[in-house]
Amino acid sequence: MQEDQVRVVRAAQRGDGLAMAELLDVLTPAVARWCGPIALQDSADAAQEALIAIFRGIGSLAEPAALFGWARTISVREAVRVARRTARERPAELPELPACDDPMLTVDVGDVLARLTPEHRAVLMLRDLEGLDERAAAELLGVPAGTAKSRLSRAREKFRKGWQA
Amino acid sequence: MTTWPMAEVDPIRRLRVLAAAVPGAVVTETTYDAPFAQVWAVAADLEHELPMYLPDVRTLRITRRDGERLEAHARGYAGMRARFDIVLRPGWCVMRSRLLLGGMAAVADQEQTRFAFLGGVHLPAQRALAPGLTLLGHVAGRHVLDRLAEQVRRRS
Repeated sequence: MQEDQVRVVRAAQRGDGLAMAELLDVLTPAVARWCGPIALQDSADAAQEALIAIFRGIGSLAEPAALFGWARTISVREAVRVARRTARERPAELPELPACDDPMLTVDVGDVLARLTPEHRAVLMLRDLEGLDERAAAELLGVPAGTAKSRLSRAREKFRKGWQA
Repeated sequence: MTTWPMAEVDPIRRLRVLAAAVPGAVVTETTYDAPFAQVWAVAADLEHELPMYLPDVRTLRITRRDGERLEAHARGYAGMRARFDIVLRPGWCVMRSRLLLGGMAAVADQEQTRFAFLGGVHLPAQRALAPGLTLLGHVAGRHVLDRLAEQVRRRS
C-alpha cells in the first residue's frame, strides 16, 4: 500500500470526514466487485451495508496495509447476509464449474449465479474472481477447509449445469 | 471477457455511508422535479449559490483549485470564519472544516434528480450528543433542501 493511502486510512481512523470520503473512492469499486456476484439483485444494498460496516469498524484496523483483505472479509460476509435475508434464490439442482479461462465464462454469468445459494456464490467469487486458494477462501468465510472445498465443488457442478440448461 | 455482476453504489448511497460513519452526521434526501444538470449547476456553484441555500453562510470564496480539490474560506452571519477543504465533482461534493462536515450527492432519475444533503459537526462530546445532533440535522437538512429547490426554480 502506498504511503498516501496509509495516511488516508490513519486520518479516517481519527474521524476525518474528508479522508473517509477519499477512502470511500478507493474502496467502493472493490466492494462493488465483491458484493455483485454474491448478492446479485440486492448487491447495491449489500455494498452499502458492507461499506457502512467497514467505515464503522475502521478504527479497529491495526495495520493499514491489510485494508483490502480486511474489507473483503467484511464485504463477503455482509453480501452473504443480505442475500440470505432476502432469500429470493432457490438453488437448482445442477455438475462442475468451468475453469477461470474457460470460454464458457465469456458471457454474463448473473443468470447462472442466481441458481446458486449465496454461500456457493461467495466461494465461487473468492476462488474464480479473486483467485484465492481453498484454504484462504475457507478462512475468510469462517468455515473449515473441507466445507469450502465441498461448497466449491457443488457450486461448480451447479454452475456447469446452469450453462448447459 | 467474463462479465461478473457488479454492485452499483451511486453517490447518494456513498453519502449515506459517510453519514453512518460519522457520529451525529445526518443525510436528508429528496427528489427534485428538474433534470440533473439544472440541479447540479446550482448546487455546485459554491461561491454564488451556496450562501443562498445554506442559511448560516454569508459568503464563501474559493481560494484554490486543483482538479476536483478546492479550498474555500467561508464567513457566517454570527462572525464565524472557517477554511474548508472540498472535493467537488459532478454529483458529489464533500466539504470539511475544523468543526463542520458537509456533503451533497445527486443522481439523475430520468427528468428528475434524486438529491441528498449531509450535515455534521466535529465536537469533543460528539458521540454523547449524537442523538440530539441527528434530530437537529434532519430539521436543518430539510430546510437546506427546500432552499435549494427554490434556487433551482429561480434559475430555471
